[in-house]
Amino acid sequence: MKYSNRFILFLAVLFVAVMTGFYCYAGQDLERLDPWAFESPRRPGAVFSHDDHIFLADDDCSVCHHVYEDGELVSDESSDDLYCSDCHSLKPAPDNPMPLEAAYHNLCRDCHFDRGEGPVLCGECHVKE
Amino acid sequence: MNSFIAFIMGPMVWISVIIFLGGLTFKLVGILGAVRQKEPYIYSYMTLKHSLRSIGAWMIPFFPRSARMSPIYYGISYLFHILLFLVPLFLASHIVLINEAFQISWPALNDSVADGLTAGVIAALIFFVVRRFRVPEVNYLTSAMDYILILVVLLPFLTGFLAYHQWVAYQWITVIHILSGELMLIIIPFSRFSHMLNAPLTRAYMGSEFGQVRQAKDW
Amino acid sequence: MKTKENPMTDTPSSVEKPTDPAIESGLERLTPDRIQQVIQDVLKKETGPRFKAYVETCMHCGLCAEACPYFLSNDRDPQFMPAAKVKNTIWEMLKKNGNVSKDFLRRAVRISHLECNVCKRCSMYCPFGIDIAYMMLLVRRICHKLEITPQYIQDTVNSHSVTLNQMWVKDDEWIDTLQWQEEDARDEFEDLEIPLDKMGADIMYSVIAPEPKFQAGLIYQAATMMHAAGINWTMPSTPGWDNSNMAMYTGDNEISGRIARAFFETAAKLRVKRIVMGECGHAFRSVYDMGNRWNSWVMPPFEVVHALAFYHELLTEGRITIKEKYKKKVTLHDPCNVSRGRGLHDKAREVVNMVCEDFVDMVPNREHNYCCGAGGGVINCGPPYKGERMVNNRVKAEQLAATGAEVLIAPCHNCHSGLEDIVHHYDLKMEIKFLGDLIYETMDKKIYTPGA
Repeated sequence: MKYSNRFILFLAVLFVAVMTGFYCYAGQDLERLDPWAFESPRRPGAVFSHDDHIFLADDDCSVCHHVYEDGELVSDESSDDLYCSDCHSLKPAPDNPMPLEAAYHNLCRDCHFDRGEGPVLCGECHVKE
Repeated sequence: MNSFIAFIMGPMVWISVIIFLGGLTFKLVGILGAVRQKEPYIYSYMTLKHSLRSIGAWMIPFFPRSARMSPIYYGISYLFHILLFLVPLFLASHIVLINEAFQISWPALNDSVADGLTAGVIAALIFFVVRRFRVPEVNYLTSAMDYILILVVLLPFLTGFLAYHQWVAYQWITVIHILSGELMLIIIPFSRFSHMLNAPLTRAYMGSEFGQVRQAKDW
Repeated sequence: MKTKENPMTDTPSSVEKPTDPAIESGLERLTPDRIQQVIQDVLKKETGPRFKAYVETCMHCGLCAEACPYFLSNDRDPQFMPAAKVKNTIWEMLKKNGNVSKDFLRRAVRISHLECNVCKRCSMYCPFGIDIAYMMLLVRRICHKLEITPQYIQDTVNSHSVTLNQMWVKDDEWIDTLQWQEEDARDEFEDLEIPLDKMGADIMYSVIAPEPKFQAGLIYQAATMMHAAGINWTMPSTPGWDNSNMAMYTGDNEISGRIARAFFETAAKLRVKRIVMGECGHAFRSVYDMGNRWNSWVMPPFEVVHALAFYHELLTEGRITIKEKYKKKVTLHDPCNVSRGRGLHDKAREVVNMVCEDFVDMVPNREHNYCCGAGGGVINCGPPYKGERMVNNRVKAEQLAATGAEVLIAPCHNCHSGLEDIVHHYDLKMEIKFLGDLIYETMDKKIYTPGA
């Protein structure tokens, strides 16, 4: 192939890739977490349906609303009367090694990895508004 | 799919970083050993002072006459190399992942700034492609491998850019982003990307010959 | 010879390419097996990590093009850019594992011997400092081992091999010439001597073989300067007096090393303190930079002083005084091997300013000066190639013309001859002189007495 032909091909592929992006983009109304506890969230709140997750957890709130004491998970105790940010401060602190952002990421993503389903990549939860 | 993503976000990152760093280290040790064995005279002429003098002179923007003769290419190339490291290393999304894995963190670029800089990298790469077509002396030297190397750098930046904007097939784009980033790391020691190791060495040697023996400037 | 009506528009294709009998007969003798074996041998046994790094580090960016006078003189024809010369020679040999055709080799000889002055300017324009001149010399090494070196330059190497000098100067001829110059110079200084083999002298003065062969006047001038400056000096009467080294440029490293060794041994035999040499660039490169390496000396075993530095010493120490500064407008050509090769450009300017009234620099200058187009053995490939050499030197002619100087100082034999050709071909109306010519012309012809 001649250089000029290769160049045209290169531009064409680039063009198609970018344009497909524009056409496929469509805003949707999605149920999201409210990132109110973050001072200035970089990303929109994660797409999340609480009802679906209650169903997936077989009504066991403590799967997500866990309780830790001295770094140990206390089984069968639920913290569903608290906000996540009540324990997980924004920055790591002596009584909380797990900052809020990491708490969310680890809790959601690790579970999705373990179960082999559910979103795991950044933009799959933080869908653009 | 999740287990595949888990693999490319976990073990595969380790594999590629180990190949990248290990490959370069292996290469460096190999070069130093081969010099000792086959061309020990090189060590006789290398001096730290003149090596650093030469590398330093070539790091100052537009200081070498060569750079001033081709200011556009040199300027773009200079910024490109800075961004090549700056953008991935200071990207918020990358820092979040590193923070969660190692509990270390550093300040991140503002997302829209990073987005613009990524576009800058892509634009620089497109400029390199155009230059390879348009400038006769560069075209004369160009082989298919030169385009492949540009493509290897373009892929992670382009897919990163698209992934950030979530315009299309987000999951696939991100998977390609991760894979192409790893590919780039892996092939660095085995391709002419190894100039990140070789270039300081060849510059240092030339700088030493010029500084020590020739007592002249090499910029 | 082509018409000279418009030399600025000559292109390489408009100049006839000669066939070189040495290259042609050499090629005829070669078999594909022999070609492959020689190339593989050289690449395998004589190169190492340095060459490997150069080959695998080049990013094909093309910045070296701007450095090369051949590229600039040939209307930016890509095949004259430094990296292209590598691509068309050694890369290809490497890629094909030495399995290259005779036509390829015919081209490779031309590229390495006639389209590159190994001036190393390009390694100052490559961001990675890749030494392209080294790779061109590697190609010449391969050509040497294949016995396809151009005829004229090969003859000088043959002369080196037999006589240890470049011009088949016989032993008695050499001594005769020195005595003849001594006698002539006694018209100016009646007790002037050219001391032969004076043991323990401070300085051994050495020249290249073309000086006794056809520029004996330069020895005369040097002798008057030495005498006037009251230097305790000597010249050797035995082979080893010639500091030139054409084998260095043909890749005949064995002979190259032998020449340099004989030279240093001559100095050692005379137990001199320093070696001073005439205005020659490649000879300086041989005994200051390359010849010593072939004899396992990191740096030369003697302090080697090029004429430029020596003049500087004589003038700043007041051993020679200038009676009346030279009036005409002069410009200075920085020879690659003493400027880019030894950083003597600033001293040279000081000397020129001490000797001349009206000095104008050429642009670019110092380390960045364009090569004269003759160096690196190119002019030594002989008259058959003069036509294309003139085309390849166009940018040098333009650089010279832009100075508007009447006199061009060329402190190097190769440069001197090459620039002479350029000035005639492009009708530049410049007089070309060695720096020594001007010092001799302007100096006070009295004998230095310390403290006076």
